Amino acid sequence: MMKDVSIGRYVEGNSVIHRLDPRFKIILFILYMVTIFLANTTTAMIATLGVILFLTFLSRVNPLEILRSLKPVVFIMVFIFLINLLTIRSGDEIWSWWIFKITTVGLEKATFMAFRLMFLILATSILLSLTTTPLKLADALEALGSPLKVIKVPVNEMAMTISIALRFIPTLVEETDKIMKAQSSRGAEYDTGNVFKRAKGYVAVLVPLFVSAFKRADELAVAMDARCYQGGVGKTKLHPLRLKASDFVWLIILAAVAFIPLAVDFLVNMK
Amino acid sequence: MVPSNRDIAEYKQAVKAEDILFSYATNSGKNVVAVDHASLSVDKGEYVAILGRNGSGKSTLAKMINLLEAPDKGKLTVFELSADNEENFWKIRTHCGMVFQNPDNQIVGTTVEEDVAFGPENLSVPLPELAQRVEKALGYVGLLEKANKQPSSLSGGQKQKLAIAGVLAMEPQLMILDESTSMLDPKARDEFLHLVRRMREDKGITVIHITHDMHEAYLADRVIVLEKGKIRLNGTPSEVFSQVETIRSLGLELPKWAELLCEVARICGVTPEAGDFTSEENAVKKIVELVKTKKPDTAKRFVKPDREVSDQVVLRVSGLSHRYGKKEKNALTNVSFDIRKGEIVTVIGHSGSGKTTLISHLNGILRPLEGKVEVWNEEEKKYISTDKNSEIKLIRRHVGLLFQYPEYQLFEETVEKDIQFGPKKMGYDEATCERLTKESLPLVGLTEDILKRSPFELSGGQKRRVAFAGILAMDPDVLILDEPAAGLDPAGQKEIFGYIETLREKGKSIVLVSHDMDEAARIADRVLVLKKGEQVFFGKPKELFSEGSDYISMRLDRPCLMQTLHALKKELPYIDEVLFDVNEAAGSLLFGDRGEVDEA
Repeated sequence: MMKDVSIGRYVEGNSVIHRLDPRFKIILFILYMVTIFLANTTTAMIATLGVILFLTFLSRVNPLEILRSLKPVVFIMVFIFLINLLTIRSGDEIWSWWIFKITTVGLEKATFMAFRLMFLILATSILLSLTTTPLKLADALEALGSPLKVIKVPVNEMAMTISIALRFIPTLVEETDKIMKAQSSRGAEYDTGNVFKRAKGYVAVLVPLFVSAFKRADELAVAMDARCYQGGVGKTKLHPLRLKASDFVWLIILAAVAFIPLAVDFLVNMK
Repeated sequence: MVPSNRDIAEYKQAVKAEDILFSYATNSGKNVVAVDHASLSVDKGEYVAILGRNGSGKSTLAKMINLLEAPDKGKLTVFELSADNEENFWKIRTHCGMVFQNPDNQIVGTTVEEDVAFGPENLSVPLPELAQRVEKALGYVGLLEKANKQPSSLSGGQKQKLAIAGVLAMEPQLMILDESTSMLDPKARDEFLHLVRRMREDKGITVIHITHDMHEAYLADRVIVLEKGKIRLNGTPSEVFSQVETIRSLGLELPKWAELLCEVARICGVTPEAGDFTSEENAVKKIVELVKTKKPDTAKRFVKPDREVSDQVVLRVSGLSHRYGKKEKNALTNVSFDIRKGEIVTVIGHSGSGKTTLISHLNGILRPLEGKVEVWNEEEKKYISTDKNSEIKLIRRHVGLLFQYPEYQLFEETVEKDIQFGPKKMGYDEATCERLTKESLPLVGLTEDILKRSPFELSGGQKRRVAFAGILAMDPDVLILDEPAAGLDPAGQKEIFGYIETLREKGKSIVLVSHDMDEAARIADRVLVLKKGEQVFFGKPKELFSEGSDYISMRLDRPCLMQTLHALKKELPYIDEVLFDVNEAAGSLLFGDRGEVDEA
């Protein structure tokens, strides 16, 4: 289960998306997010799907790898779908039983909502988590957030924190797995028993995990001290973010692509 | 920001500590003296090993040198600069590098090269020098091709090399290795030590190496031994290790060849001199001399009794294969072995040879892809198999598995509750749980007064024992132990192996994974050797290392004791070189079929 979490799951590559400046990627991501939420017709949805497929193609990441990032959110998708399906009462009734009622509008909105969520996750994976190293992402957030330094927001330190958190995700996932195996060996059952028993079972995993995470944090702090970490001031960078001409070209292309669903929708509705 | 003026003047003495004291308050308000009026000095370019039991203040001492801690009292100078003076702070720290024990907890970067760059970035090293330094450091440790990889994709040994590269990129004068090799397997450890040696030769870096490994200590120019924060011994390796009784009383041990020397000398009734401890060669010479000249007292001969093992097979693995993904290579291929009641089977093989995969199958954590794992159920007089879900719980009661560094699995408020977690899950009633808990304590050298304490306030060695007791309290017939002594000091390791032998005497069967070839061979009734997931040997340790066996093609190191015996055999051809016990080896040397030597 833990293996499917897509944060910190960078897939190596040298595609257009991989090479694109991470600051632009974040800006583009916001743009795509807007598009995804504005798309509210079937045509626009299909066009968005096309755009996602296009991005997948550009990223050269195995589509299965991208689809895997959906696994942890399937539950939320189903939940949102059902909530929308059962609470929207306008439109023609399709089916009803006891207090439940499904309507055409409800079905449509629910489907759209589920797809929006799916597109959002896919866009995040393709543009950010799967194609951008956590450190680049942190650098980009730092750069984009630097205006906040004026109001004394510790942007450098926050970026460092994020990057370390991302760096430690694989380590902690591995550790969780180890602890679960150890506790299973002592008879803990994570797949059987009622809710309370299972919750109690997770205590046996979470406590050691937290204890170890704190220990790691302590040791890491000492190690960083030993390597003369003094916050962001005066720190140089091995790979400073530098914009190339190609970055601008792709920013324009991909920004234009982001508007395709809305444009298609507009054209179809004009008729 | 790190100031840019960090140049230090020429110096001769890298470190000088005079009467330094360091104490801290624990959570319970007790004041603990970690370093107690210690005085020492380290010359430029010197290689100093620091030894001592866990908790003897070694790490604290090292941290003070790097100014990560400040002494309460006393005078400390590093690079002939006073550590009290704030102006010197960055001059000292930027020229000291430190490599810690746990590879995972010192990597900051999300890629290998970003991690190496972290130090120089903090020192405001500009491009392109920064990139050059990173490339040079990575090239030096042999990780250049991994530059863009994620650190989590590296092996433990590679991670420690990465840590060295991270320090080298800061161009240090002094490097402190804080038990940096303790989590590595023998091959990775050798590579690491080789790298350290090369670094000293090429760059003249002063090295302070905290270690539990006596062979590593012998590589140093000087050895310092700490006990409870006090410096007890300080001298060349031979000066220190020739004080045999003191060394042992400090919880340390001798290298195998020195132990053999002492044992031979003891039987002959002589005391070896400091000169005999300078190197293995000299010790071998001395042993040969003793054997040829002395008439030993036969009453002192030690004969290892033959062990009888019952025929009852308690765990049987047949044709076991496993792979983690459809497209992956086999992690295990066709492994078949069995273990009988009261037997120790040690599993040896390099990292990645499938040891962890194998042991995870033995209590059903992993299920066989092909083959079978069967466990003897004494109550019903039949075998139960891990491929039946309904029998997993029963199997886990019969087969107790203790993973590496098991202290990380403790979670309860008290030791008692933690030990009882397993037995309760197994469905024993309250009274039985209590009885099993109490019975498990003495098996690992604990007493009942520990039961009400919190496991988190115990020392590392005690935590390890509590975790061990937690498995023993489930009263399993078979124990699977993955590196149970890893990371402990020599005395702690010896104790753990002692417990294992006692458990065998009590009729427990034990599968032991160990990197310590000497212990693995000495303690084992039978040995299973894995290589790249394949079983390449299963049989008695004597057969494995005897002439004609192809242990060399299995890429196994011989036990250290055997290496010494091999050197001795050139002079004393009658001896048996396939022995794993120091006492037995001494017996073979002095009482074996001595042929011509005896008559002369």
